[in-house]
Amino acid sequence: MAKVSLENVTKRFDSTVAVDDVSIDIADGEVMGIVGPSGCGKTTALRLVAGFETATDGTIRYDDEDVTPVPPENRNVGLVFQSYALFNNMSVLGNVTFGPKMHGVGKAERRERARELLELLDIEELADRDPQTLSGGQQQRVGLARALAIEPRILLLDEPMTGLDAKLKQTLRQELGQLLDDLGVTTLYVTHDQEQAMSMCDRIAVMNDGHLEQIGTPAEIYEEPANEFVAGFIGTANLLDATVTDGRISFGFGDVDAPDGLRSSGDVTVLVRPDDIRVGDGEGDAAVEVTNLFYQGEHIQATGTLADGQELTLQLDRSLTNVETGDTLSVGFDPETLHVIRSTK
Amino acid sequence: MAADQVSMGTRATGAVRTAVGSVVSPTSERQREIRRIVALCLPFSVLLVFSGVFPLTEMFRISFSESRLVTEGFTLEYYRTMVNDPYYRNIAFNTLWFAAATTVASISIAVPVAHALEKYALPAKSVILTILSFPNSLPGIVAAFMIIILFGNTGVFTNLLAFLSGQSRIDVAISTGVLGLFFAYLYSMIPRALLLLRGTYSEINTDAEEAARVLGATPLQTFRYVTLPQIKPGLIGAFILVFRTGLAIFGTVLILKGLLVWTLQIDRELAQGFNIAQASAMATIWFVFVFGFTVFALRYTSAEVSI
Repeated sequence: MAKVSLENVTKRFDSTVAVDDVSIDIADGEVMGIVGPSGCGKTTALRLVAGFETATDGTIRYDDEDVTPVPPENRNVGLVFQSYALFNNMSVLGNVTFGPKMHGVGKAERRERARELLELLDIEELADRDPQTLSGGQQQRVGLARALAIEPRILLLDEPMTGLDAKLKQTLRQELGQLLDDLGVTTLYVTHDQEQAMSMCDRIAVMNDGHLEQIGTPAEIYEEPANEFVAGFIGTANLLDATVTDGRISFGFGDVDAPDGLRSSGDVTVLVRPDDIRVGDGEGDAAVEVTNLFYQGEHIQATGTLADGQELTLQLDRSLTNVETGDTLSVGFDPETLHVIRSTK
Repeated sequence: MAADQVSMGTRATGAVRTAVGSVVSPTSERQREIRRIVALCLPFSVLLVFSGVFPLTEMFRISFSESRLVTEGFTLEYYRTMVNDPYYRNIAFNTLWFAAATTVASISIAVPVAHALEKYALPAKSVILTILSFPNSLPGIVAAFMIIILFGNTGVFTNLLAFLSGQSRIDVAISTGVLGLFFAYLYSMIPRALLLLRGTYSEINTDAEEAARVLGATPLQTFRYVTLPQIKPGLIGAFILVFRTGLAIFGTVLILKGLLVWTLQIDRELAQGFNIAQASAMATIWFVFVFGFTVFALRYTSAEVSI
């Protein structure tokens, strides 16, 4: 295991800048997630760490060793692919013993190591199977066993759960999270699924258009997003235009007390999460005319329009089945749940 | 018994009528699909019967004829000659080893080229591809001429070699020898192998190759353990295609005459010996061998693919 550092790393492909001056430190044993939309540069960042791409500028270190020019086969990195990428000309056991074989581990030892990992991942009965006959979940477990078999300094997970069904994804997420905790292996987890990242990672780096937008714990990212992009990408966000004057936040539809310690003033953008908005029929801070309702099982998501024309997304208790589009709901804001994320001036 | 035969005949006629009726006036989507297939394949089917099946059948009949020039009687004499006469056995041996050797050489050269073309971003790639595919449309006679220009008595390499070694140009010229013919065959065979191998390479799972690299495999080990098993069906396909090409080459060998092979001997039987029956028997053997080889090899290939 090792700590990993990306120091001012830039990667250009001709005129395209895929990764732009990104710096990330991953502590020994930490699970770091990189999230962002398609094309944001997260996979390129992972490929730079793996050694498949060489940084145009900047340095990548494992502990204090500069590995920037080192080819992938000499980095001792475990990589789990979105496409599983199993060797279909080998059995499951052949796949798992392949890495140790390339590292010169003796036959008996590598087979024993592989058996232990297959047992750990609860797939020991698949040892002699052809990978093509396995389900997606089983293939992903084999891919993980294969990556761990070389006792990697760092484990890289590239969208490992994409393509699996929702139920399996949930099970695997729990198992994988537990496994990473138990093994204590330094992990870089790349995904576009912010929920997976939030539940599995110690810290998350949010990337957009090659830039690193914010890095922090899941709670920090969710509660205190650095900008509109992060606020919008992580969870559902209401971003409302407002003005701060004398400890009050003035929206177009009314005034609300500002959170304690707010130092901004003037025109701002305020983030408020749907689950932080009180919804009721009585007195509130504003009235919302419901325009759409989406039943989502555990709750109902409603969108509506405030008096000043701004849109607001609400999370309704699923017992509120009598709410219909066109109804007016009163909503209340708790000052401590309002987060001023940037001044508009 | 007679009643059964009448009944069977009636049923068969009925089945044919139904089949024709479904093509002429289809009533389901499947029948309409069959009609489209029939319409699409009809021109080729007609051509196949009149230009392929009919002459092959006629050739087959002549190969058993007691007369050398026309179809008459029945004899196995020409087949017996090919089996018993060392002259023909030697030609068969020459043909097979030469086609096999040039096939192996062509594929050995084509694999790294296909690898480089498909794996790496090369400058002026389209120009390189055009140059590499050009020999596909090169007539065998032109390939032979190019070999003469390079390795003939006054060829470029011959002059250079004679100058460097101090030997006479006649002694170092190889264009009409086995080696000259070998190079000429490669002209025709490498582009064919390349064409097939490039197609195979484009379907390779590159993630698996990257997985091998990250697990500690060098590029050579990655090729051996991951890439090679994936291109195996393509290699077998290329072997079939190129080996058949090697067996069929005629124009080149007609000019260079470096080795007496099957196609050249068929020409000699026809042009010099007027022995149409012997030529037919040789052509029949050639056809049966190539057909059987292809069927066998394709079966092996599909088995590999399905594993």
